[in-house]
Amino acid sequence: MANTTNPGLRACTQGISIPGDTAHLPGDSSIWVFVIGEMVTFSCYFAAYLFDHRQLHDVFLQSQGYLSPNLGALNTLVLLTSSLFVALSVHATRAGDSGVAARFVGLGGACGAGFACIKGVEWHSELAKGFTLGTNKFFMHYYMLTGVHLFHVLLGLVFLGIMWRELSGPGSPRVRLVETGATYWHMVDFLWIIIFPLLYLLR
Amino acid sequence: MTDTPAMAAPAIQAPDLTRTKNLDQWICWWSIPVFYNLFGIVFVYLARLMPPPSPGLTTDQIIHFIRSNATHLQIAIVTLSLSLGLASLSSGIIVVQMRRMKGAGPALAYAYLAALAVAALPGCLFCGLMFALAAFRPDRDPALVVLLYDMGLLSFVGSLGCFIVQYMVFAIAIFLDEREIFPKWLGYMSIWGVVTELLAIPIWIFRSGPYAWNGLISFYLGTIIFVVWEFCLVVSLYKAIKTQPSQEVLA
Repeated sequence: MANTTNPGLRACTQGISIPGDTAHLPGDSSIWVFVIGEMVTFSCYFAAYLFDHRQLHDVFLQSQGYLSPNLGALNTLVLLTSSLFVALSVHATRAGDSGVAARFVGLGGACGAGFACIKGVEWHSELAKGFTLGTNKFFMHYYMLTGVHLFHVLLGLVFLGIMWRELSGPGSPRVRLVETGATYWHMVDFLWIIIFPLLYLLR
Repeated sequence: MTDTPAMAAPAIQAPDLTRTKNLDQWICWWSIPVFYNLFGIVFVYLARLMPPPSPGLTTDQIIHFIRSNATHLQIAIVTLSLSLGLASLSSGIIVVQMRRMKGAGPALAYAYLAALAVAALPGCLFCGLMFALAAFRPDRDPALVVLLYDMGLLSFVGSLGCFIVQYMVFAIAIFLDEREIFPKWLGYMSIWGVVTELLAIPIWIFRSGPYAWNGLISFYLGTIIFVVWEFCLVVSLYKAIKTQPSQEVLA
């Protein structure tokens, strides 16, 4: 009986589903099928990268030296900020404050677009140095991993656009839809957090 | 009077000529397992394109691959040219089902049909054609045989990009649809389809490694996702036809 009155313990168990509790998986359950599938397919890319990294260690280290870890770190920061805005938007939506929620989604989308622009600048500078997809195995993985990830970012911007439209439209927005979009966006962020150290930092 | 709600339907009704509802769609549906079995025999057993031979083979190895396999390649192209049209039957059902969707107009259904028609030629027919051409004259210049070998396999795996639009319009239609004719997760799976097509881009550059035409990612991952997607599509089509009322009028 002390359990139910202990606020600290109650806070600890807040994320756990209790019978009769209204806790649910955020978003549409289909999006989680997608997220798990994406984790599996990206794991294949990472495994292929790590395999080649071991085989061609010197080539990888040398090629890695031509990347700009500063731009990579900046992009990590931009995408994390973007995820924060999207998370705040979900909170605002749940609280019924669609106006604020729409603004947060807008800010999140702006950061996402910023990420894509920085990625463009980075690719341009690598291409200007003469490094293309066909230069060597390292740049093959670099362009493919960042390219496939960028495709997910662009698709995520479409999702954010749909969320923004939902939140700024008349009537009360569908919370599930906002949660689904946010789940996708956090997945994009999570994948980048693995890609960044693999490509830029792994020695 | 023993009027039940079912008998309260309109008094004058057109006679139902077909005892099985949606018979046309069921005919098309049963063509799918027939087509994919033939597809499997042609590409896996006869032409030995799945899994594909290596892009790194020497000229002698390529000549040996084609000449020792000549009869099989000829049976493959004949079977393929006779059965490729069956692929369009499944598109027939998909278009009917896409037109039943609410919130997604018929434009996406027609776009799906046209996109698949464009992609089926390089993705299915060209490779069999090139291999059969290489086998047609046993005394053909080895350099030309190598060329046909490359053309066949590059079009088979590299043409995957042509399927992007097909996957994309299908996903958009599923997301817009309010009737849930197809489950939403099939829409997300179609997005994986788009991603796997992007992964085939580097096969034009690399002759070894995970992104070569026989690579772990460009070939195996893409093929596994395609097979799973196709299986889920066929099951979803079955459920969609099963639950469709026979007298439904399409928009």
